[in-house]
Amino acid sequence: RYVRQLQRLQLLFSPTAADARGARQFVEEAAQDFARQHPDVVLYVSPQSGPGPAPVLRAEYLNGTVRDELIASKTSEEIVQLATKLANQSGLDIIRIRKPFHTDNPSVQGQWHPLTNKPSVLTVQGPRLQPQ
Amino acid sequence: MVVLSAARWVRSRLSDRFWRVQEVLKYARHFRGRKNRCYALAVRSVRRAFVRSTKARREKKRFLRALWITRIEAASLEHGLKYPAFISNLVKSQVELNRKVLADLAIYEPKTFKSLAALAQRRRQEGFLAALGDGKEPEGIFSRIVHHH
Repeated sequence: RYVRQLQRLQLLFSPTAADARGARQFVEEAAQDFARQHPDVVLYVSPQSGPGPAPVLRAEYLNGTVRDELIASKTSEEIVQLATKLANQSGLDIIRIRKPFHTDNPSVQGQWHPLTNKPSVLTVQGPRLQPQ
Repeated sequence: MVVLSAARWVRSRLSDRFWRVQEVLKYARHFRGRKNRCYALAVRSVRRAFVRSTKARREKKRFLRALWITRIEAASLEHGLKYPAFISNLVKSQVELNRKVLADLAIYEPKTFKSLAALAQRRRQEGFLAALGDGKEPEGIFSRIVHHH
């Protein structure tokens, strides 16, 4: 069954700042619909009093990564799109994956070493023959 | 007038020059010498590095194929077969394994590779018998090709 990797979304904005207008509109109009459509994500709305830092949408994932996205001077629709994008992501870092495959046990028959295809006289020590 | 346009032009100055410079320098941090610190030198070096990395993506395919061929050649020589004989006889026995997989088998599954080398050797002997000892029905099993329709 699908387990959503996004744990919680924190909406940090100031109710008086000019660039948080989109955030305020999002909270008034679209936040409830978003929360209903994503029942396994907890949405926290925390208005900060007074002039504070830029309005930010903080996403926390099940593996512990915290991702901050600036929502200053964004419309409500753009914030909804951003929130759905974060909800569909997992918490893995967004870097280039070197290889699309990985194994912990690459070798089943034993990895090659210079003595694999040599006669076993070189590796095996037999029982020491008694002098007669 | 001239005075008005000069004043308007002087009034706006860059405030995020630091971040614009860091965007370029972050790709030059592992370079040698002043190229990793000084912006003017770093811009040129970073651009050349990007161009080289774009062109190298085509070379990487050739390089890796040559590496696989070297490894398969070494592994098949351990079993007494040369690389052209090995590959051609595998293809004739309808074993469509590419060089990447053959190299990985040679490293991680040596017994499987030994059996593949034995298969190629047997197919080679059957080929010689079919070509030289003509007239009799060849007893070769691995020479008979399976047709999928």
